[in-house]
Amino acid sequence: MRSQFWGLYVREVLRTFRNPLVLLITVVQPFMWLAFFGSSFGAVPKQELEALFGTSNYVQFLLPGVLSTSMLTVGMFGAMSTIQDKRFGFMKRILITPTSKEVIFLSKALGSATRGLVQIPVMVAAALVFGVRFGLSPLEWAAWLLALLCLAIGFSSVFLAVTASSTDWQTPGVISNFITMPLMFASSALFSSSQFPSWMQAIAKVNPVSFTALLGRSFVLGRVVDWSYLGYLVIFAVVMITIGYFVSARWLKVE
Amino acid sequence: MNDGVAIETQDLSKRYGSTTNGVLALDRVNLSITKGSVFGLLGPNGAGKTTLIKVLTGISDITSGNAKVAGFDVRRESLKVRARIGWVAAEVILDDDFSAWENLWLQAKLQNLTEWEDRARQLLQYFSLLDRKDERVNQYSTGMRKKLEIALALLHQPEVIFMDEPTIGLDVGTRRMLWDIVTGVHKEFGVTVLLTTHYIEEADALCDRVAIIDQGRIIAEGTPSELKARVKADLVQLETSDAFDVKTLQAIAGVQEVRAQGNDWVIRVGSSEEFLPRLLRTIPTEHIRRISVEKPSLEMVFLDLTGRRIGQEEEPMRDIRKFYMQMRRARQ
Repeated sequence: MRSQFWGLYVREVLRTFRNPLVLLITVVQPFMWLAFFGSSFGAVPKQELEALFGTSNYVQFLLPGVLSTSMLTVGMFGAMSTIQDKRFGFMKRILITPTSKEVIFLSKALGSATRGLVQIPVMVAAALVFGVRFGLSPLEWAAWLLALLCLAIGFSSVFLAVTASSTDWQTPGVISNFITMPLMFASSALFSSSQFPSWMQAIAKVNPVSFTALLGRSFVLGRVVDWSYLGYLVIFAVVMITIGYFVSARWLKVE
Repeated sequence: MNDGVAIETQDLSKRYGSTTNGVLALDRVNLSITKGSVFGLLGPNGAGKTTLIKVLTGISDITSGNAKVAGFDVRRESLKVRARIGWVAAEVILDDDFSAWENLWLQAKLQNLTEWEDRARQLLQYFSLLDRKDERVNQYSTGMRKKLEIALALLHQPEVIFMDEPTIGLDVGTRRMLWDIVTGVHKEFGVTVLLTTHYIEEADALCDRVAIIDQGRIIAEGTPSELKARVKADLVQLETSDAFDVKTLQAIAGVQEVRAQGNDWVIRVGSSEEFLPRLLRTIPTEHIRRISVEKPSLEMVFLDLTGRRIGQEEEPMRDIRKFYMQMRRARQ
């Protein structure tokens, strides 16, 4: 099982690097977020920014949020690559070996999560360009990375579970549009949830996107760290990967 | 199952969809394929050939009946079966982003192989791909891709290889090359080959035994020569310029049966070599527009059994189909 997982995982990750366009866009897309969205408060006086976001540099506030939301979309790529394998018959090639559907699921979920992590160093470098200064300890970096990885694994698992029986190219995109928007806006990723109406606050409170955003923000802005967020994220990842594992074993379609 | 059998099925059925509205793709298939043989499954598109491969490789569930491959039950010991079989798809399926060597590496990982490099090198050498092993396979020609796919199927030294329509869509040259490869692979690596095809000549040229499948049922099985011997007759097709009495033809010695459609005649004779001189003595040559002779072939066997030709389109040929059907009934 380890050998098969490793083979499929490496394939999943390598494929990203084999296509220069995909790699370029994976890297450029979050950068654009920072550039465009981060500049949207460019004309707001510093004191007001300070009052709203706790920092005079909105990019500093935004970075943890954008990193969180970009982990939302990595699941879509995992689901698309699975559907491509079904359509091109590669799923049959894999399954006419002693490889189980569960192993395919795990390699896709972790492979696409890994692919999502590629964005992190690029985003951090971009934030440096926008004047953000990082004073994180190695432990804080590691915790932040772990939180993002958990979020990516969790959402990859959700996507793979929902699209397990699908063979339609359009499904992952439609699902992505459906879940990304509400989860992005009903979270603390882009703005502080304290100004949200109560129903949106309720969603933001249980939204794992908020957890990574708040955890990352507490590191970046030097605030008091609430480590329970990390615990929730680990639970989220474990629950979702377990659901995905069993759903794939039962419903993963071959073609 | 005895030791000399590589694949065995008992009343194997596969139904897609519900019991009432579904399609019965395999209908009580019984096969016993000897180890080390090349076995052909011959039938038109939609006959159930690919379904049988899917069921035997564990890709599709069995609806009823039993199947054993390489000594293991397809349903209960699926992983053991899958460790002992190789598969060559009708459409070449490779990872195009990877080189040939990387494709082999992935296959080795999927098959849990640790020592695979020497074997992989030997296979690439055998298929003349060794010097291009690091090229991405999307640069390969169709023939090279097909060869690599066969190499992947052989990497883990399987007992049985399934080849689904191995030459479909290939040009004549590549097809011939592939025939040589199938024969060579079988001899060189001692593997049992189950191939499906709707090309008669392919089954005839490659297979030790052939099963003819139609509408999910095996309708005949035997060596190509056994099957051809079943027909025991040549078909002479004759087109004349004028209509004349059928009795004239029936009266010729050696004629078993005559059927007419206007001025087109299909005459079943014991031996066309003996019949033709007699025919030319009976009917003046100026009345004959065209004569063609069909010797016993697997095509004729299929025609004989089903009343239609393999690869024949359904609608336009309806009359001929009916005609052959009548001919068959008349003979029974």
